[in-house]
Amino acid sequence: MEMVASLFSSDNYTAVKKMMDVSALRHASIASNLANVSTPGYKRVDMSKSFEDELRASIKSRNADEIAVASPRTEVDTLTPSTRADGNNVHIDSELLGLTKNTMNFNVLTDFASGSLKQLRHAITGRPA
Amino acid sequence: MNVISASSITGSALDAEKMRVDIVSQNIANANTTKGIDGKPYQRRIVAFESLLDAASGPNMQGVRVSEIKRDETPGEIISNPQHPHADDDGNVTMPNVNIPFEMVDMVTATRSYEANLAVVRNARQLATQALSIGR
Repeated sequence: MEMVASLFSSDNYTAVKKMMDVSALRHASIASNLANVSTPGYKRVDMSKSFEDELRASIKSRNADEIAVASPRTEVDTLTPSTRADGNNVHIDSELLGLTKNTMNFNVLTDFASGSLKQLRHAITGRPA
Repeated sequence: MNVISASSITGSALDAEKMRVDIVSQNIANANTTKGIDGKPYQRRIVAFESLLDAASGPNMQGVRVSEIKRDETPGEIISNPQHPHADDDGNVTMPNVNIPFEMVDMVTATRSYEANLAVVRNARQLATQALSIGR
């Protein structure tokens, strides 16, 4: 039982769960940006820089509890300059690139989560998945 | 939080861009309408977009909607064509203020935006499928 519990409360597993939440939220931000690509004055939404720093520091600390408390949040990006007369600062190509990148990231994360579960099943049944 | 993340946002964008293409097609269809339903030459329509907060998808998330469909009040070109049924006493006809190249550009822009939002739908589906197959 000890081993099973430690598999699901390890810092890696907790970090993967947290990063999947981040991916889902980043996807929603990109959806919002691409939805408003033609809205005058719209400013793009992105993951909060302070949250990213927080998460990076907590993952570096390898402390599962610390990773678990970091709460993903977004912020309005007013720093990216607008190249358009209407003040909108969404660049359709970089958003699409971010979208693809985010989906690939999510695939890596689900593979890791599946891998942990497969290891457990392997250990229980003695048969590789 | 729903299975397909931000589907309401992307849905609103697909609706709005579709509306924009509809209006462009109406403008192009009426590029030669010298007598609209109000008896005057057709005036091209312009869609105005506005964002609206989508609290269900999280803070800062914004969908989009068509806030209004305005008429372009720019006067149309006046051409001399005495044979035209809608010519005035001097033989002049006021044409609609539709500019075909301008409409084409607007249509391509709307189509590209629509495609970008469809890419979001595809990716959202992939995220959902991947999440549902964890452990398999």
